[in-house]
Amino acid sequence: MKTHPFSRRTFLRGVGVTMALPWMESLSVWGDATTNAAKPGSQAPVRLAVLFSGNGFHSKEWWAKGKGKQMELGQVLAPLTDFRQKLVFIRGLYNAEALKGNIHSSQTGNLLSGAPLASGGEIRSGTSIDQVVAQRYGQSTKVPSLVLGCEKSNPGIHKNYSMLYSSHISWSSPTAPTPLELYPALAFDRLFKEEVQDGDKSVLDVVLAEAKRVRRNISSADQRKLDEYLHSVREIEQRIDQAGQKGELQGWRPTLDKPNLPRPADGIPQNLAEHMRLMGDILVLAFQTDATRVCTLKLNNDHSYLRFPRLGVDVGHHELSHLNNADWLKVNQFFLEQFGYIARKLDAIQEGQRTALDNSMLMYCSSMLTGGHDATNLPVVLLGGAGGQIQGGRVLDYLGKPNRKMCSLYLSMLDKFGIRLKEFGDSQEQLAEV
Amino acid sequence: MIRRARLVVVASLLAGFAWMPGIPAAEPLPDYFAGLAEEYTGQTRPLLQQFCLKCHSAAKRKGDLDLERFATLAEVRRGTRAWLKIVEMLDSGEMPPKNAKQLAPEQRKQLRGWAERYLRAEALADAGDPGPVVLRRLNNAEYTFTIRDLTGVALNPAREFPTDSAAGEGFTNTGNALVMSPALLAKYLAAGKEIARLAVLLPDGFRFSPHTTRRDWTDEALAKIRAFYREFVDSADLGVGSAVGNINVHSDTRLGQAGRLPLEKYFAATLAERNALTTGSKTITAVARERGLNARYLGILWSSLSGQAPSLLLDDLRSRWRRAKPQDAAALAAEVATWQKGLWTFGPVGLIGRQGGPSRWMEPVNPLVTQQDIRFTIPSGGDGGKNKEVVLSLVATDAGDGNEQDFVVWKKPRLVAKGRPDLLLRDVKEVGDLGPALFGRHPNGKAIDAASLCVRAPSVITIRLPAHLAAGRDLVTTAVLDKETGREGSVQVDVVAGTPARRSGLLPSEVTVKFSQVTQVFSDQREVSYSRPILIGGKSTARQRFESAFEEYRRVFPAALCYTQIVPVDEVLTITQFYREDDHLARLMLDEAQKARLNRLWDELHYVSQSALLRVTALELLLEVMVGNGRADRSQYKALEPLRKPINERARAFKKELLDTEPKQVDALVDFAALAYRRPLTGAEANELRGLYRQLRNKKFPHDEAFRLTLARVFVASPFLYRLENAPVGTATAAVSDWELASRLSYFLWSSQPDKELRDLAAKGTLHKPEVLAKQAQRMLADARVRRLATEFACHCLHIHDFDSLTEKSEKHFPEFAVLRGDMYEESILFFTDLFQRDASLLSLLNADHTFVNERLARFYGIKGVEGTAWRRVEGMRQHGRGGILGLSATLAKQSGASRTSPILRGNWVSEVLLGERLPRPPKDVPQLPVDETATDGLTVRQLVARHTSDARCASCHQKIDPFGFALEGFDALGRRRDRDLAGRPIDTKTKLPDGSELDGLPGLRAYLLEKRRAAFLRQFCRKLLGYAIGRGLQLSDEPLLTEMQERLAKNDYRFSVAVDRIVQSRQFREIRGRGAQRAEAP
Repeated sequence: MKTHPFSRRTFLRGVGVTMALPWMESLSVWGDATTNAAKPGSQAPVRLAVLFSGNGFHSKEWWAKGKGKQMELGQVLAPLTDFRQKLVFIRGLYNAEALKGNIHSSQTGNLLSGAPLASGGEIRSGTSIDQVVAQRYGQSTKVPSLVLGCEKSNPGIHKNYSMLYSSHISWSSPTAPTPLELYPALAFDRLFKEEVQDGDKSVLDVVLAEAKRVRRNISSADQRKLDEYLHSVREIEQRIDQAGQKGELQGWRPTLDKPNLPRPADGIPQNLAEHMRLMGDILVLAFQTDATRVCTLKLNNDHSYLRFPRLGVDVGHHELSHLNNADWLKVNQFFLEQFGYIARKLDAIQEGQRTALDNSMLMYCSSMLTGGHDATNLPVVLLGGAGGQIQGGRVLDYLGKPNRKMCSLYLSMLDKFGIRLKEFGDSQEQLAEV
Repeated sequence: MIRRARLVVVASLLAGFAWMPGIPAAEPLPDYFAGLAEEYTGQTRPLLQQFCLKCHSAAKRKGDLDLERFATLAEVRRGTRAWLKIVEMLDSGEMPPKNAKQLAPEQRKQLRGWAERYLRAEALADAGDPGPVVLRRLNNAEYTFTIRDLTGVALNPAREFPTDSAAGEGFTNTGNALVMSPALLAKYLAAGKEIARLAVLLPDGFRFSPHTTRRDWTDEALAKIRAFYREFVDSADLGVGSAVGNINVHSDTRLGQAGRLPLEKYFAATLAERNALTTGSKTITAVARERGLNARYLGILWSSLSGQAPSLLLDDLRSRWRRAKPQDAAALAAEVATWQKGLWTFGPVGLIGRQGGPSRWMEPVNPLVTQQDIRFTIPSGGDGGKNKEVVLSLVATDAGDGNEQDFVVWKKPRLVAKGRPDLLLRDVKEVGDLGPALFGRHPNGKAIDAASLCVRAPSVITIRLPAHLAAGRDLVTTAVLDKETGREGSVQVDVVAGTPARRSGLLPSEVTVKFSQVTQVFSDQREVSYSRPILIGGKSTARQRFESAFEEYRRVFPAALCYTQIVPVDEVLTITQFYREDDHLARLMLDEAQKARLNRLWDELHYVSQSALLRVTALELLLEVMVGNGRADRSQYKALEPLRKPINERARAFKKELLDTEPKQVDALVDFAALAYRRPLTGAEANELRGLYRQLRNKKFPHDEAFRLTLARVFVASPFLYRLENAPVGTATAAVSDWELASRLSYFLWSSQPDKELRDLAAKGTLHKPEVLAKQAQRMLADARVRRLATEFACHCLHIHDFDSLTEKSEKHFPEFAVLRGDMYEESILFFTDLFQRDASLLSLLNADHTFVNERLARFYGIKGVEGTAWRRVEGMRQHGRGGILGLSATLAKQSGASRTSPILRGNWVSEVLLGERLPRPPKDVPQLPVDETATDGLTVRQLVARHTSDARCASCHQKIDPFGFALEGFDALGRRRDRDLAGRPIDTKTKLPDGSELDGLPGLRAYLLEKRRAAFLRQFCRKLLGYAIGRGLQLSDEPLLTEMQERLAKNDYRFSVAVDRIVQSRQFREIRGRGAQRAEAP
């Protein structure tokens, strides 16, 4: 079977010519068939969660050595101590494209795609790994993916790159960063509210027809932009069509069919820790109920302005990252605690022989190792077994090795989802060890 | 011809270009390119080969740059962007790298010179190209403002939308940063439905409300009617309350102020302007306008007062008026008020329409009686029995119309006490002399009843009663006109204590209404009595004369103009939800248009409240209660029965009206969609909307829901959410339509949809005319909506957008910031709004001597004498070391750390944001400064920065930017003036620039920018304004327009509108590329 490189051009062209088809179908052009890797109906699916925080970590305290139970961790990673046997600490990976800009936004907007970033007020990156998975499996769940954030994105341009790049690691297409949900209540609603009301379908039908008619009279560039709108309408329509059919789509039954937590309060919690915890709860709940299998959680922006008065730290995150002091370490740990919190909750959910954590693949990463903008050695930790496909308790060091691309890791990760691409970003080979 | 690929210029490196006058601004001369081509092959390309191609070859492509492909000018022209990069690298000295072979000065001049000449030629060749504008979704601000302008409600529908990102020239109105996703579209749909819930269906369409319930909509309709009334009745306490001018059957009722005719100011006008109006030097209309009065009523009052026709009641008022001075207006008004109390009664309206009830709220009465029963309680002597007698007087006056036939009979005056026999006055010996009056005799000598008296008015009969007789007794009598001689008489009679002064003329009467006790639901009867009525014959012509005099008076002086209460609370249970009585208002004050408006408001109230249906329910409930109470007396039940038929009929009619109005509402929705789409709808679009509505009705949605869903659909439609523009077929550019131009204008200057005037011009097809465009831009800049240009353009441009939600400051160091940040932001917004509205000079961005403050911010700035929360303009800011954008606390605080100042951030801001300089990115692993300016080993922030930037890797940039920041060190991290830092060390604001200029503090920096960097500052401003206006990053072909803007500004006092006018008249702004045009050049 012929596979196509997953490039921007084919993507756009593909969108252009397959507009009449539902969005999800048009995507199966790229990559091989889903059925290759389809799991038996009784087995829990693999879930992907990517957690991100900006500005890197303490320069002396991000490290791991040893194996399994004996693994030693730098202080930043202390909150993961209990999960040493389930984590893979990866050192030495980088994105070649990220080295070009050498500033926050230029290292973050392509973190999960390895794509070249357009500068100078243009917006272009690449479809990120989470969205590749979402576009493949999204139809099986209520929402294709959940893209959450705990800091609102930054409107501006910094050093010739839009700050949009600093705030978006998830990209649905090369020109469309996936909008972030900052409100826990709205994220919850998206997963669990039976929002589809009578009449919505009729409304969407006509706005779609109208947009198609409008599309005929605008430039091809505008058509591509309007296609974002068309896809969106279609996807909501599909969700309407699927409403009520939930559970018939796959043989596996999640361990929970309704949320076991109350809907969070409206608004954004004043307390940052509470905000992050709520987002973590929603992520876990989404996986547990199989409302989605893909989630990215951007804990803060690169070039973040978050402050941490409750930790007794009165300096902004970005300013702190350049100080590299004890407060910075404290804040780093606070972020990793969120990761640990999610892991702990998932590990407490038994899904047959394994826990939900064992069935998931969690990644924590940043776009630089330290506050010094160094993108040649990215901090990466994998947690969870991807359904028995990843052996934990290891440190993988790629520094100095020929194949040390982030995109190689992504090819490996996609492989765990049965998505076998010839290339992704700047890489054509997986990381064999993963 | 294949259109050449366009390019996007990202840097402002061309800012310094002075356009060579030698190059014509029209079409490029082929000769010129021919010369460039020759020079390229002969001299320029060899230099590339010698110095650049080692790394930037087709094979190596270092830094993604292949210069080898540029074999001839033809290839160069397909890759112009690379040449911008070459100029940038040469100018910054980054290329060739320090360790590589360097260009000799002559060689460098050749390469740089050719590149510049080429780029200029290229810029001119495409000057005015509208460029590749990516389709723009309304950003959150535009969406919000558009929704607000569409609905007239201050909604915040994008509150929970994802934040917009910036692209192009750094603004959030650039298409490629405005993405759409299923999650976002779902939010738009939810928001659209929420907005649709706010639609209030009206008889002829719909409006929007901040609320979603019928109850609230009804209250709004009520409030509108009351507001309408308030314009005329001049009363503060309209509406509910006991002091209103209605009668409540359960409590004492007074005539309050609500709805009253505000006479005093009208009298005052007639008195003050009496001469002018009499001589005709002023018209009624003019006086009314000057004094904010209703001209129609003023005219009516004036002709009544200055009229000559004799009138019983008015004559007296007229004579007093003629004598009155302006300060007597209140007294005149009071006199009229006294009469009003005798000529009007007020009844309860909650059960109006029942049998035997009042027919309206305010009813006329005539205080005319044929006989008057008097019972006068004799006051007990309050003097401790010193006086042995009590004096009473029987008074009869002539009622102001002469005393012909005014013969009154006091029938059997007697002293009455309970349990004692009546004592006829005639039989009281001590009474003594009654003057000419005699018991039992008419003044003409004829005998009458022996115990009665007959007098001719005016007359006062004084009676002196021994105290022992008077004690505990009432004086009782009945006054009538004498049957024979008094048939055409008219008198007023009264019994008073003491001896009154002799009175004549007509005296005001007062009417009193009493209700019998409430039995079941309402009071069955009311009793009307008068003080000092006029005794008059039953069918006399005198009576007719009085009746018409009263009517004449009432027509000019109704006690109340309208029933402002509207919602009756005057019965135990009411059926009337809303009671309207404003005929006097309409007659005396309203013109036809106002009457129509008032009628519409009432229609709306009844329609929105569905009062006709509510009345059915109310009546049924009431009757049910009455049936259930088991009373044998059914009279009240029966009295209410006549209401049943009209109420039911009205309800039936209303239901039909509801059905009849449905199509009108759908029509209005279609009209509304054209507003939302910012252009006329096509027939297909209108049909589609109607089709959706019908489809939903067919699916059994009730009208209301189908309507709202169809309305919600408008708010998620692509022509609403996107600024769609029809691109011409082919590759050539063309002017956009007038409708599209209207939107370009309105979104540029107002961040919202075109208003009516723009729409009208678009419909006429004249908006594109240069003079019309110019006039509209001027008009729009003066409008209040230009505040949005201040926030969305100016504040974005200076990086202080949403400063009021900035959370980056240390709460430990600056706890006051949380309160101040909103004020700081408002100051900046007001500063820009004012600059735009006044069309001030762009130089005042730097050298303004004024700003805007409230008390809190003034205190922060150390400005004295500003009190209160109101914002005001203050002058003399330079005295305070401020003025202009350099001294705004928002910009100073934004470019600081959380707890200390940052000369580097401020300097970088001046360099990049104000001057458009492009600085390379900082090297990796820069050593950091301490976070707190007190813990710095004894060094000031400035000294630390200086030491830090002595690092060779950093020095070249920091030499450029730091001095700007040092000059601003006289302001702390919140932008507060300071001489010392937080550790108490003195601040040094003297600094030296790389070019050798020395400057000190903000004034020095301001002078430097104004004098030495004016062109760069203005070009950067123009660049940003143009980028904002057209929603894309600028490209090479925009440079000529920037140059033109700068030239025009210099010739026109740098007025802001000159820059705006150049933009809106430009091809970039008025035109659009053809559908087939290529996208931007590939990198």
